[in-house]
Amino acid sequence: MDDFERELTRMMRDTRQPAPFRSEHQERLYEGIRVRRRVRLLWRAGGSALAVAGLSVGLALLPGAGSRSLPADRRPLPATSPTPPPVSPEPTTSAPDADPSVSWPPTDTPGTTDAGTTSPGYGGTPTSLPPTSTPDTTRRATTAPPPTAPPSTSPARGPSASAGEESAGSG
Amino acid sequence: MSLCLRCKGLFGHGAVGMERFRVDGFDEFVAARWSALLHVARLLTGGDRQRAEDLVQEALVKLWFVWPRVAEQAPEAYVRQVLVRMAARSARRRWWGERPVGELPDRAGPGDVSSAVAERSRLEAALALLPPRQRAAVVLRYCEDLPEGQVAQALGCPVGTARSHASRGVARLRQILSDTVRPVG
Repeated sequence: MDDFERELTRMMRDTRQPAPFRSEHQERLYEGIRVRRRVRLLWRAGGSALAVAGLSVGLALLPGAGSRSLPADRRPLPATSPTPPPVSPEPTTSAPDADPSVSWPPTDTPGTTDAGTTSPGYGGTPTSLPPTSTPDTTRRATTAPPPTAPPSTSPARGPSASAGEESAGSG
Repeated sequence: MSLCLRCKGLFGHGAVGMERFRVDGFDEFVAARWSALLHVARLLTGGDRQRAEDLVQEALVKLWFVWPRVAEQAPEAYVRQVLVRMAARSARRRWWGERPVGELPDRAGPGDVSSAVAERSRLEAALALLPPRQRAAVVLRYCEDLPEGQVAQALGCPVGTARSHASRGVARLRQILSDTVRPVG
């Protein structure tokens, strides 16, 4: 520390003026404390209100966003999916006379069903038979088939039609 | 105890509110250190007494809110640090230069022209020409006689930076004061 620095130190300390802490200083100080305390309380209250408002808005928007995004998030099923789509109930559970494609057991009585389906050794399904316009002639033709005729050609030829032609030509 | 007293003073007004704001040891500290703090603040502001009082009050208000934490440690160091930072911050405000007043302030009369007043005015005028951080480093180092570590802590900078600020400030003051003295001599 040189002479100038010592002189500087002396000047700074000697120029100090006595300043007592008076009552007006004290009142002003506590007024400042009170104002600052209120400002801090207001800031805290404002911050809390802002936080609550933000949370409320967030919670209000969250369920709405979830319900809106549900159909969009769900991907459509592919046209040919590896897993079968949900199907109708089993054929055995449905009514027997409601579904025409159901194969009936062979224990049924011949009078209630077609004769072609009940002939022994044939094993055909009713779907393979063409619809006939005259059930009575069909019943007669199918109940007495020629023994040498193959069963696969009889539905294609139409036994009732051939019988009609023969009867018309003969008569 | 002090926290309960502070809670009571939440809605205090006037003298009653002032009583409720009292905390243990705070008033005693303020009464004991007011003059010294005001002197440091006046040097930090380059001789502006009104601004120095504002700075001391703001620093003491800040001290009141942390008084339970710093009362047993170093409350004066806390106030000093707040003073330095607020003085540096307020020096950047241009509106501190002039303030409109309703009445003209008292001027120094013939009886005030003494060597002490002249010396103080010369010192404050020289300090006012320094940058705020150099001024703070010089004041804390030579007026408060703080070691370089505490000066750096108050300035919020490394010790080398604080030493550099003090060295440059002293060099600048040496030049200013020598220029001031030379015409007189």
